[in-house]
Amino acid sequence: MSALALRQQEFLACLLDDATPLPAGWDTRRVAGMAVYRNAYRTRLIDALRETFERTARLVGEDAFRRAAAHHLITNPPTGWTIDLTGERFAETCAELFAHDPDVAEVAWLEWAMHRAFTATDAEPLIVSRFAAATAGFSPAQWEALRLRLIPGTAVRAIAHDLAKLWEVLGASSFPPQVERLPRPGYALLWREGERPVFMLIPEQNGRALAGLLSGGTFGEMCAALAETIGPAKAAASAGTMLLGWLELGLVQATETE
Amino acid sequence: MNAIAPWGGFGLGLRRDHYHDFLSGNVAVDFVEVISENFMVDGGRPLRVLEQVRAKLPVILHGVSMSIGSAHGLDREHLTKLKTLADRIEPLWVSDHLCWTRTSAHNSHDLLPLPLTRGALGVVCDNIDRAQEFLGRAMLFENPSSYLTFPEDEMPEWEFLAEMSLRTGCYLLLDVNNIHVSACNHGFEAADYLAGIPADRVRQVHLAGHTPGEIVIDTHDAPVCDAVWDLYAKAMSMLGDVAVMIERDDAIPPLPELLTELARARISTSAALGTEKAA
Repeated sequence: MSALALRQQEFLACLLDDATPLPAGWDTRRVAGMAVYRNAYRTRLIDALRETFERTARLVGEDAFRRAAAHHLITNPPTGWTIDLTGERFAETCAELFAHDPDVAEVAWLEWAMHRAFTATDAEPLIVSRFAAATAGFSPAQWEALRLRLIPGTAVRAIAHDLAKLWEVLGASSFPPQVERLPRPGYALLWREGERPVFMLIPEQNGRALAGLLSGGTFGEMCAALAETIGPAKAAASAGTMLLGWLELGLVQATETE
Repeated sequence: MNAIAPWGGFGLGLRRDHYHDFLSGNVAVDFVEVISENFMVDGGRPLRVLEQVRAKLPVILHGVSMSIGSAHGLDREHLTKLKTLADRIEPLWVSDHLCWTRTSAHNSHDLLPLPLTRGALGVVCDNIDRAQEFLGRAMLFENPSSYLTFPEDEMPEWEFLAEMSLRTGCYLLLDVNNIHVSACNHGFEAADYLAGIPADRVRQVHLAGHTPGEIVIDTHDAPVCDAVWDLYAKAMSMLGDVAVMIERDDAIPPLPELLTELARARISTSAALGTEKAA
């Protein structure tokens, strides 16, 4: 390893961990200089997290958020070239640190999904008539093998709390927010409408179906899973209703068949 | 590598707080500078805003993550995304900082200081050669502000920059505030710095504010101070046509305040050039 590589490795180790001893022989001036870099590192990254997770910070309060952000930087030090990804896995950090308040991780997930959708690849949604034209002559086998490519940035997550209400309250200044559990488990669905990330709460069945499609599942696999839950008789009609809803929301970008 | 011709003008950093001003009207600037990484994204509003502003004004892409001094080389993904953006926006030029930000394992997202050694100079020059070759264009590199020096330093920063520019053909972005900050922190004379810089390689000048103290910190959150204005006048008397801009990244004021500061830069430049001609 070159002298420069060694110096940089040593410098970064000091930056990431206050407990790492500074190089031997460094005078007080250099020690003070390193303190500036250490402070700048933490401040910049915590500020980046606060900017992305504004509502999460409001939900838990400033002190708790700072502690969570500092913990996240220790357990997930940045590796990529863009500071925009500092919040990667912060929702998981929140799930671990606020295990008794699962709504915190749900809000953090939503903010992260919004952050990612904001700069996702631009795409035109498929309108209902074009989808109908594309699938008009489909055989049953083609419907089985159909995969729906969803608009970039689309994400779903199982949730237990009323994120719609919580989101609105956290955007205003009425505190402390009242966290309400949903009457039954549901999903949050997030996508980008034009330039704007938007979300809505959807039933569990709809959310599971979308999660399957997002992970590469086929329409046939989705229908089979539905049939197991609600029976074959209702499955086809339910799948059709959900599909029409997704098209009307502008979630579907393209159809793909093998 | 294609030469970058001297180009004179006065501009501002394009920041989110001022998007509306730039999109809705004609702001009295000759160019804007953006942080490249903020627009090295797949899609969405930021790119659309930049393209709309680009339709009105020349744009400079100023990066913070190239890590040109990294002993571990350049990040291919970063370079690829930067090239995509540069090809799309057709900027006046692309710049970054003389610094390093990462090792092979971690990224600090800060502009960290380099030991000013022959070995580090070789690494920096190799990296610049690769970056310029990949991008297909000459770049500008900015002198950093720094808060510590290394015991192994072998030359002053201005010598490092001059040699770097000579060996790679890159140009220089002279941050006058950074010279002032580092001069205060390390005890050298700012005038020596200016005298050691190859003036004919400078294509852009940055002006910014800082936070005074036992260690002066480059915070970009305040107006340019008088000492930096004085140093700016001295610098401009040495330089030819350059793009001058006010950099503000924190505590960003309404646009008219920055335009007033920019007007001072125009006046100071005229005065400096007038003084030079009179002499």
